[in-house]
Amino acid sequence: MIVFASLAILAGVLVSLSRQINGRLALSTSAMESSFWNHFVGLAFITIIALMVGGLFAGEPQNAPWWAYLGGTIGVVFIAAGSWLIARIGATRTALLIIAGQMVFGVLLDVAMGAPGNLWARVLGVSLILAGMWVAHSGKKAS
Amino acid sequence: MTQPYNTSLFHFAAAFATGGLLSLMVLFNGTLAAYGSLFFASWVPHLTGTVAALIFLAVLRPRRAAVARPPLWVYLGGVSGAVTVMLTSATLNSALALSGTIALGLAGQMVFSLFADTRGLFGLPQRTPEPRDYISLAFIIAGSLILIFFGSST
Repeated sequence: MIVFASLAILAGVLVSLSRQINGRLALSTSAMESSFWNHFVGLAFITIIALMVGGLFAGEPQNAPWWAYLGGTIGVVFIAAGSWLIARIGATRTALLIIAGQMVFGVLLDVAMGAPGNLWARVLGVSLILAGMWVAHSGKKAS
Repeated sequence: MTQPYNTSLFHFAAAFATGGLLSLMVLFNGTLAAYGSLFFASWVPHLTGTVAALIFLAVLRPRRAAVARPPLWVYLGGVSGAVTVMLTSATLNSALALSGTIALGLAGQMVFSLFADTRGLFGLPQRTPEPRDYISLAFIIAGSLILIFFGSST
């Protein structure tokens, strides 16, 4: 259990590490070029691992709805935006605000798709997140 | 050398919207994973993303920042991202499940981000978090944990 907990924490560390490295590359090139290298190098790495482990095309991927294939295009914009933001507002604020957006839009998506969930937990969770964003931004001279 | 946090409303909105993109990406890639393997659900977005990035670069032609060649390690961000997918696919199937995986991932992400900012790691600007940043962090993470553990069925 401690092993899996450590792996889950490490996964979070790597999310931040990846954004910092891509942010550094964006400083030398551009945010979109950084996003290209992130996807290209990641593709090469996953291809090698998948060839070694096997089972890349297992299951029934041909039955997936067409829109499920749009994640990569969104991901390109996501990585470019993160690379651009981290050099300007820092790793902490980039991570916090992205998490805030992911959580709030996640609730909106759940509600839109009719996913079951506790209404009061959703209201409380979103309220706390919005309060946290307000705290971070209040008292700023430049806004 | 230490820079204060100076976040404009535009940066705020952009980062928040970027998080919204992530929620869509998780939905789309998660749907792929429901039909194909976890490898497939990571391989396909990297493949289509590579093509999409080339198209964006060809159309937008962004101005390049520097002529000096950056060190080679700056090209390895994608490896870090790909390993993340493999780690989470292992922890998803453990007792941690999705909720525990996300919650511990948030913890790791925030601690390392604070560490990186205070040290100015990887050639990025060094910043000192203010008390307000820690209060903000507490609110946002508390709200996120409530949503993760009590907000939905997943």
